[in-house]
Amino acid sequence: MNKKRAALLLLACLTVPLLTGCFNSKELNQLSVALAMGIDTVDGDYMVSVQLVDPSQMSKNKVPDRSPTTVHSETCSTVFECVRKMTTKTSREIYFSHLQMLIFDEETARKGIKEPLDVLFRDPEIRPDFQLAVVKNKQAKDVLEFVTATELLPALEMFKSLKVSEKLWAPTSSVNVLELLRGFELDGRNPVITGMTLSGDMKKGKSLQNVKQPHVPANFHYTGIGMFRQDRLVGWMNEDESKAYTYIMNRVTSTAGLVNCPHSDNKFIAEVTHSHVKIKAHIEDGKPKGSLHAMVTANVGEVECDVNLSDEKVFLELEEHVSYELKDILERGVRKAQKYKADVFGFGEAFHRKYPKHWRQWKDDWEEMFSELPVEIKVDYKLEKMGQIISPIDPKTNRED
Amino acid sequence: MGTQAEAFSAELHENIEALQTMMGHSVDFVFRILTISDNRRAGLFYLEGMIDIQTMQDHIIRPLMDRTREHEITTEYIKDRVVEVGNVTLAYSISDALEQVIAGSLLILIDGSSEGLLLAIEGWEERAVTESTTQSVVRGPQNAFTERLRTNTTLVRRRVRDMRVRLANVTVGSMTKTDVAVMYMSGIAEEELVEQLLEKLRSIKQDAILEGEYLEELITERKRQTIFPTFFNTDRPDVIAAGIMEGKIALFIDGTPFVVMAPAFFTDFLQTPEDYYQSYFYSNLIRLLRYISLAICMLAPAIYISLTTFHQDMLPTQLLLSLAAQREGVPFPAFIEAFIMEVIFEILREAGIRMPRTIGQAVSIVGSIVIGQAAVEAGIVSAAMVIVVAITAIASFVIPSYTMSITIRMLRFAFMIIASIFGVYGLTVGIIVLIIHLCGIHSFGKPYMSPVAPYKKSAQTDALIRYPFRSRTK
Repeated sequence: MNKKRAALLLLACLTVPLLTGCFNSKELNQLSVALAMGIDTVDGDYMVSVQLVDPSQMSKNKVPDRSPTTVHSETCSTVFECVRKMTTKTSREIYFSHLQMLIFDEETARKGIKEPLDVLFRDPEIRPDFQLAVVKNKQAKDVLEFVTATELLPALEMFKSLKVSEKLWAPTSSVNVLELLRGFELDGRNPVITGMTLSGDMKKGKSLQNVKQPHVPANFHYTGIGMFRQDRLVGWMNEDESKAYTYIMNRVTSTAGLVNCPHSDNKFIAEVTHSHVKIKAHIEDGKPKGSLHAMVTANVGEVECDVNLSDEKVFLELEEHVSYELKDILERGVRKAQKYKADVFGFGEAFHRKYPKHWRQWKDDWEEMFSELPVEIKVDYKLEKMGQIISPIDPKTNRED
Repeated sequence: MGTQAEAFSAELHENIEALQTMMGHSVDFVFRILTISDNRRAGLFYLEGMIDIQTMQDHIIRPLMDRTREHEITTEYIKDRVVEVGNVTLAYSISDALEQVIAGSLLILIDGSSEGLLLAIEGWEERAVTESTTQSVVRGPQNAFTERLRTNTTLVRRRVRDMRVRLANVTVGSMTKTDVAVMYMSGIAEEELVEQLLEKLRSIKQDAILEGEYLEELITERKRQTIFPTFFNTDRPDVIAAGIMEGKIALFIDGTPFVVMAPAFFTDFLQTPEDYYQSYFYSNLIRLLRYISLAICMLAPAIYISLTTFHQDMLPTQLLLSLAAQREGVPFPAFIEAFIMEVIFEILREAGIRMPRTIGQAVSIVGSIVIGQAAVEAGIVSAAMVIVVAITAIASFVIPSYTMSITIRMLRFAFMIIASIFGVYGLTVGIIVLIIHLCGIHSFGKPYMSPVAPYKKSAQTDALIRYPFRSRTK
């Protein structure tokens, strides 16, 4: 009897996998992987676009002349509704776990992004590690429909490009959705989102023609950083100001600092190898005062002016020059943020930590206080290595140093 | 029954009659009548092929036929003075004598005497000691056990020249009357265990014992039965020698080159003799590799199923897309796909073992083309699945013990079923249950996971990793 029961149980278990839809199991060919999502505002409603991957395009024997991705759009009053409505257009369930990019248009960003983001935080299926961007002057849908040159999948190209440029080019700063969430929640710091623009012939850019010749008619690029107050976009930082942001947030791993040479119009480039900026809070005469202390180490990257680098005096002069230039950049960045009353650097946070009692009083009108906060900036700049040659090559004279 | 226990008659022809009746006139039952003196005849009875003919002719027939002797011919006289054989006993009943004849003795009956002489001169065609085919080593002793019990015990004795090596004999099986020799080292092996084992062997009531597995199953108590092997078996004398010196008990079964050893622990099944014949750096790396292979063999298809059907979010994006591309057009769910492939592989493996060697190539070619290529190109299975099945198959060969690899292969299917229903969650629970089971079973009264659980510090020198010999000296 016991054996019979065990056999029956085994038999029952064996039949379970044959049933369709047992538990939440989903076969890979029942899923459509969404890599990017765009949220636009159209007449007060949200227009949600989703970039889905065509898996057959990922295999070796793919059919040519078929786009690797498809974009579906729906317009409705909430994001959730749109996503569900989209199933009427696709044969497969849309799978959001691998979302790489979330793109807002400027209108939505200015209106506030908390609402559309709520569903993305709430849904357990969505992994909160995608990158965010706000597209300037165009719709997010345009970005999704774009055909990119290097990667087959546009979302991956945008994701990787953001990561690479963040590493090597200070003005871009990638914002992961978790960081954004932290920015919302933290007292005394406002979030930012990187901006992106599309340029060129958009009609060609949205067709496979975009990649059929070496010259890419239309391209995207990241530019500037959007400052937020609460969840609303309030203003943009230009390239230099964005650089200030990245420096102050200690996100610079390597970048190029372009400086005019002393006594000439030619350029000189310092390649930053190490950078650390400390934000400090002080109280002077009962009033808040902020200070930034930057410690930067750089190598000589490129020298276009005619200087003798083996001369210590010249070298120190150069060092002073880059130091001054960086100070200027930082100052401009801080001033821009103050103009928009968006404390993206986290001065408020520094006060919160150091003077929790004062902070409680200031907290409510910190935005106003920040806009008038005096910020002292100090830069310690060290130029170290000169590279494989010392002074610039001069074909006219044959110096022996 | 009464007639069988009958004593020999004094009349030779009556005895012949009786023996022939009992043997049912079998053609291999040979008897030869010799006239050894003027008035005496002697009958020689034996089974053809079971005795050494050369010995019989030189040391039994020739002396018997020597007519120069003057002494009166009695059985006693022949036993003590005539035959030139070491092992000679007297037999009084027909059935006793026949039992020995069947085992390979020569029976001599003298006309006028009701006693038989049994001469143990068994000698049959025997496979020579050859290389081990099941557990070969690159470096280390190459010889393996044969089917002959005495050869096997000698092979071990020659390695362990210690007086404490003990051998006890038990005959098991009412029909086969298989000799089972129990070898252990007195003072090192637990006497209690030896007693228990001998007791259990004696109490076995079976007609046939042809291999060690018969004993393993009969010795294990019913409620202690498990899918895991609790006896170790090998055809390598060096392994047995090492084992008995560690206090294990070896069971030599006549007629099979596989010697059974108990108690056996889980770690034993993942060790090879070569671990000790190579530098310990290398041995330990290889051991690590074996544990990884064991995990792969048991879990690879299950993990693949659970990741692709439940936890797509755990895969890197690029990998997910590549897997998704491969799965396009595959008509089955991942579990069915994996199941089909694993079953096909098991069929190929079984065919490979059973089929005649000469057509082996054909099967492997068909197998590799059918499951390797055609199935993928036809879109029945995905290429990734073929990779998964291939890696599990290869990993299963890395497990040194064939019996353990069988167990792991069976568990693989169980894990696949669990994975298809419950995903990684089910796998985790499954593994926990498996570990609990492993810690609960015993091999001959010893915990199976010993010395890992219960942890014994002194025994760690050769459990998961092998310590250098220098640190193992007492």
